[in-house]
Amino acid sequence: MKLATKYNRVTLIASIIVFVFTGVIYYSVIHYILTDKLDRDLAIEEDEIAAYVKTYGKLPQAGSFKEQKVSYHLIDPDRDFERRYFYNDYFNESEQRIEPGRSLIRTIEVNGKLYSVTVTKSRVEAEDLVRIIFLITLSITIVLLVTLLLINRFVLNNIWKPFYGILSQMKAFNLADKNDIQIEPTKIDEFTELNAAVAAMSLRVKQDYRELKSFTDNASHEMMTPLAVINSKLDTLIQTETFSDSQGELIEDIYVAVGKLSRLNQSLLMLAKIENNLIGDQETIDLDELIRQKTRQFQELLQSQNINLKTELAGKQINMNKHLADMLINNLLSNAIRHNYKGGEIYIHLNEKELTISNTGSDDELIASKVFERFYKNAASEGMGLGLAISNQICNLYHFKLNYTYQDARHTFKVSF
Amino acid sequence: MKILLIEDESSLRESIITYFTDEGNICETAVDYKSAIEKINIYNYDCILLDLTLPGGDGMEILRAIKKINKKDGVLIISARHSLDDKLDGLNLGADDYLVKPFHLSELKARVTAIVRRKSYDGSNIITFNEIQIDTQAMSVKIGDNVLTLTRKEYDLLVYFIANHSKVITKSAIAEHLWGDEIDLSDHFDFIYTHIKNLRKKLVEAGCKDYIKSMYGVGYKFENI
Repeated sequence: MKLATKYNRVTLIASIIVFVFTGVIYYSVIHYILTDKLDRDLAIEEDEIAAYVKTYGKLPQAGSFKEQKVSYHLIDPDRDFERRYFYNDYFNESEQRIEPGRSLIRTIEVNGKLYSVTVTKSRVEAEDLVRIIFLITLSITIVLLVTLLLINRFVLNNIWKPFYGILSQMKAFNLADKNDIQIEPTKIDEFTELNAAVAAMSLRVKQDYRELKSFTDNASHEMMTPLAVINSKLDTLIQTETFSDSQGELIEDIYVAVGKLSRLNQSLLMLAKIENNLIGDQETIDLDELIRQKTRQFQELLQSQNINLKTELAGKQINMNKHLADMLINNLLSNAIRHNYKGGEIYIHLNEKELTISNTGSDDELIASKVFERFYKNAASEGMGLGLAISNQICNLYHFKLNYTYQDARHTFKVSF
Repeated sequence: MKILLIEDESSLRESIITYFTDEGNICETAVDYKSAIEKINIYNYDCILLDLTLPGGDGMEILRAIKKINKKDGVLIISARHSLDDKLDGLNLGADDYLVKPFHLSELKARVTAIVRRKSYDGSNIITFNEIQIDTQAMSVKIGDNVLTLTRKEYDLLVYFIANHSKVITKSAIAEHLWGDEIDLSDHFDFIYTHIKNLRKKLVEAGCKDYIKSMYGVGYKFENI
């Protein structure tokens, strides 16, 4: 639930409760006051009748006058009762209609006869007054509620704007991106503080990241020269011609290790490069042609492993850096060969939408969620575990999707364009 | 041939000099930007090996200087920067080739030989090694009068061997030369053996002496007998 919605709901419910509660109190108080006034008027009338009876020894004339009606009834002397007020409806003769009224009934003795005296006053005015007051109160309430809602909606949204601004920037925040978080000035202290904290944090994170990155970059670069020295010294060493075969094997192992190390280094540098988006020079590449060229390049390797390669390539043009396209196909294809067995199969399928490379291999399914992580590899793998990480980065760079599935004893990598 | 090596790393410099200095090659060195510029201005070289990261200045500037004074010297960039931009910049500025560190000395030698051959005044496309004659233009090989039919890989291998004759060439250097360094072939050196066996057979059958020698498991040597 959004903060504004939550806030709106709470204020709305609270205001409605308050308005209903105060409305009820208000209504009762006004009702009480008006009834009290009516009762007092009735009491005055009663007094007048009593005074008249006392003075003249007879009842004044019964009848209807304006909003008031007086009537008498002769009753049994033993059925005397206490005076009381009550509500009733009566016939207003001047208005010729039934109206709600307030009555006072009492008994009065005139010349030894007991009469019940009923004085009724119309409640119409009082009712009208209450109704008008009620309507005014209701409309004020509604206006207030609507205003409250509008304020919440527009003012709150406006107040929270800097928050959403910074939030969307934080969502879009990318370590490798060159853009820093842009702070929109706001007059609200909390948001100013938030903005400052976020900006400082992003700056610090970026700084750390840059340092780490340049460290990797420099370390990799610096390693290249000693590697070149080792390689050249080995090249010089083997010219001396005084080796036994077993010494030769040792030297070859060193060569292989140095080769691996320099490839690892180059891969790390390449990863850093792709992540930093330092790859430009896009061109249109015939992917089918590139795959054909790569399969030719790998032909001897395929033959030596007796791997059966099946291809089904539709024409597909793609816009990307030539070197990266090369590397992507290279990685996927060499993986399919390396993790295959002698006499296995590789199937390459290319159409307008996707490229699929599937191969036979070990029976163990790779962990799909981890397979594109750096240095992930299964125990049997001779590789460095960077090839797929690089492939994935390349795909990310061009917004392709690379995924892995294992089905029918086939490991399949699919690039969706 | 006369070579200028511009490289600040002394161990690497020594190895390269040792590898190149025989059979009448002259290899001079410059260790920083200033001495490199001086030498370039005074002497002519068949090929200049240029490291891009140098004390005192950028290697690219040296390349610009070479082209500015209209030198016809071949230039081979050797750099630890495996960056496409550097490679393209270098080649656009007129470098003849670009080699990324670490490299095999045999690869360096083969590249330098190729550059020098292309640059040489007589425009000779013919490589001769005793009875072997290679026309690099037509990519054809003759043993005496016998024309030899080689596959592309076998041809590349032969040219590579002759450029590095009398040197031990490792299997990984051969693999990288023939298939590029993008493919890690370290587990599959056995099929290099197949190519060498085939080449050897074809050469011998055409009446060539058996120059290719297997060297204690590390590699091969193409040697005059």
